[in-house]
Amino acid sequence: MRIAFCGSSKSEIRNPKSEISKDEAIKLFTSANENYLQAAKCIAAKNNQEADLKLKEAATQYETILANGFMHGQIYYNLGNTYYRRGELGKAVLNYRKAQRLMPRNADLAANLKLVKNSIEDKELPNEIPVVLRRIFFWFFLLNGKELIVAAVSLYVVFMTLVFFLIILKYGWLRRLMIGFSAGLFIAVVSLGIKIHSEQGVSRGVIITTKCQVRYGPGEEYEPKFEIHNGAECLIEGEKDDWYNVYVYVGVKQEAGSKPGAEEKVGKDVRKGWLQKKDVGVI
Amino acid sequence: MVKYVRFFSLWFGIAIIFGCIQNTFAEDISLTATIDRNSLTINDRLQLTLTIHGTQDTAPPSFPGIDGFTLLYGPKISAQTNIINGVVSVSKGYTYVLQPAAKGKFTIGPSTVEYKGKVYTSSPVTVEVADTAPSSGSQAPDMSKLVFVELSADKNEAYIYEQVILSFRFYFQKGLPVADIDYVSPGTKNFMEEKLGDQRQYEEIRDGIVYNVLELRTALFPMVSGELPISPARLKCNLIIQQRRDHRDSPVDSLFSDAFFDDFFGRGQKRYPVERTTGPVTVKVRPLPEQGKPREFNGAVGTFDMEVSVKTQHVKVGDPITLSMSVYGEGNIQTINEPLLALNNEKDFKLYPAESNTQITNQEELIRGRKVFSKVIEPQKTDLKAIPAVVFSFFDPRVGQYRTITKEPIPIVVEAGEQEMPIQLTLSGNTIVPAKQQAQILTQDILPIMTNLSSLRNQGERIYTSPFFIACLSIPAVAVIASFFVTRQKERLQTDIGYARDKRAHAIAKKRLALAKSALSQNAQKEFYSSLSKSMADYLADKFNISAASATGDKVGILLKQRGVGDDIIEEIYRCLTDFDYRRFSKDGGTKEEMDHSLTLAEQLITRLERQL
Repeated sequence: MRIAFCGSSKSEIRNPKSEISKDEAIKLFTSANENYLQAAKCIAAKNNQEADLKLKEAATQYETILANGFMHGQIYYNLGNTYYRRGELGKAVLNYRKAQRLMPRNADLAANLKLVKNSIEDKELPNEIPVVLRRIFFWFFLLNGKELIVAAVSLYVVFMTLVFFLIILKYGWLRRLMIGFSAGLFIAVVSLGIKIHSEQGVSRGVIITTKCQVRYGPGEEYEPKFEIHNGAECLIEGEKDDWYNVYVYVGVKQEAGSKPGAEEKVGKDVRKGWLQKKDVGVI
Repeated sequence: MVKYVRFFSLWFGIAIIFGCIQNTFAEDISLTATIDRNSLTINDRLQLTLTIHGTQDTAPPSFPGIDGFTLLYGPKISAQTNIINGVVSVSKGYTYVLQPAAKGKFTIGPSTVEYKGKVYTSSPVTVEVADTAPSSGSQAPDMSKLVFVELSADKNEAYIYEQVILSFRFYFQKGLPVADIDYVSPGTKNFMEEKLGDQRQYEEIRDGIVYNVLELRTALFPMVSGELPISPARLKCNLIIQQRRDHRDSPVDSLFSDAFFDDFFGRGQKRYPVERTTGPVTVKVRPLPEQGKPREFNGAVGTFDMEVSVKTQHVKVGDPITLSMSVYGEGNIQTINEPLLALNNEKDFKLYPAESNTQITNQEELIRGRKVFSKVIEPQKTDLKAIPAVVFSFFDPRVGQYRTITKEPIPIVVEAGEQEMPIQLTLSGNTIVPAKQQAQILTQDILPIMTNLSSLRNQGERIYTSPFFIACLSIPAVAVIASFFVTRQKERLQTDIGYARDKRAHAIAKKRLALAKSALSQNAQKEFYSSLSKSMADYLADKFNISAASATGDKVGILLKQRGVGDDIIEEIYRCLTDFDYRRFSKDGGTKEEMDHSLTLAEQLITRLERQL
């Protein structure tokens, strides 16, 4: 159950730019969690006003930790939950996506994200990777960027150690072992490169306002092309002034045949347009 | 008898076909007068063709009155029948060749032909005859009249989102081969564009000359208001002009001098690159008027109509009804938005977002199409009698007014839905479970927050800046590089004797000099000079990878010279080697000072050689 958030759709959170230590971060995190749990109790008691205040405080505390450079998947996940409770689905999706980059194997996170995605209007994802590929390249999808770096560096150290001993001892079996590890190292480095590109080279965004209009050009003077809703995801191709040039995937129904009553085939179409920066949260 | 029947049937069929053909073109008869050029010199010849379109069954057209020309020969009669896409067109041409008699501007008067009592007249044609061509030596044709391009819009003023047809036309004189066409389309910033059909190809007469025309058409939809410029289009092509050779240089040339061979081998053909640019076009785009704008207006501009239908009219409460709203007509059909439902009470129906499907039905003349919005609605009450009226507003640029189409409510019958049974936690053996009874998910909720503090560490820290990470990357690399060089050095010392001797020479020489020093302290002259001589000779032998016995002064001198060692050092070494050997075997070992000097000299020489070799 979630309560409706009354008031402006703009975030009212103001983050101080002061540094906090790990202990302070943990303190804030614990306090935010406490606020969230109290809000949950208020919701159960149908005291929505009190619940909203508590959730707002919790969101501010989570945002403060993140604004001070202390990042963790748990914080993003909890912040996503908080926004979901407040009815801000766009911000919930945004924070779940950020959490997913840091905790790609977390089942709770995947379940919550799926639930939120099912309750938003635009469900099409920018690119859904087939399950077969997810199974084949499992390490890519199960490890986050940092874990992939550690894996690649570990393989590199083992590989270099093997090279060192091969140079000195010249055992034939060391060469075979070295070839095996070099293949592993190559895969790890390529995976890491793709991961970095997909996370940092390709900008993705989430619509964080109730609904907004995608326009033909970067300005209010351009006509609206189509409408997009809270929580929809997009690929950001470029930007100009206060506008993003985005690709949005939309569902399209096509007639399977010319005969009346023929079944409709649901396809996916990519649409391009311009969105105001204030409407988009960058993952 | 059968033969006769077949014969008459055949002729009857042919007569019907030709009768039909006659009928198809009998109504569209015209007479045209065309010339092959409209400016020529007094030495040139003019080809005039009078063509009767639509029939071949007429008397020849009257020869027009022509001042300043004499008839050389003609008419040459040609008849043509074309069947394109089932449309039959026939024509008959009368070609005359004329010779200018004087210079000046002349008008070839209209020609007439009578057919079934009706007189058809051609348009007059103007020709200019000059004295001589400006550059008579060159045979290059005046290409400005052979090819040209035009860019035009069907309207100079339009409303925002109104359809404007932009036409690019490429004219080239009939019969003129054109190749390598490269077209750069006009810049249509601030317009949304849709290509209209394939390119069109037809003939057009301009100033009496027949041109082939290639036309490309585009539908433009202005997106902003104001004076919107369309930048010029550009076309590049090569004209292939046949040039006959006047001189035959060899018997082989004369043998193959026929026009057939020229054409076959492409001889005498010259390619003239031509580039043509159109003028710019400006469209004044007006904003949509605020006056009379309906509340339901959602940006559609064009001429549209709407059809509304439902698949079922007899439903239960909560059952979905698919409402199909089909908007069709002229305009940018892809951008139109969903028509609105005129609901009396928002709680009467549960509405779902509409899915749309767009079909462009005509893309030849204008963008015309149909957009079907399929909207699922669920009635929430049993007392609902009709699906609410559907309203669609658009701006019609032809009349300059907003129009609203309202489709009347569609009657429906809504019955009460089945009541769902609650879940039974205990079942007795005799209980009959109703078909509708099933477990239901009452609500779905997110999973709780995470509160695990032990794993809470900053994941945003950059791992690649940590000393451990840098050490993990650099130490193995340094170790591998070092082991490589050490191993290689070791292997070379083991396999390359010359290299090994070279590297060890200095160390061995130092040991020998130490022995000499020891001998000097004991005042053992023979041992001293023996060590000194050996240290010098062995050092040089090791350096040049020769035996110690062959390290004589002469040989060493040659080798040192080859290595670029200075003459003074060579002379000094030569002198030392001779002197040390002499003193080794002679009784006169010299004083202690002399021995000391010899030792210092040997040390200095070895050090200097070590630097230079």
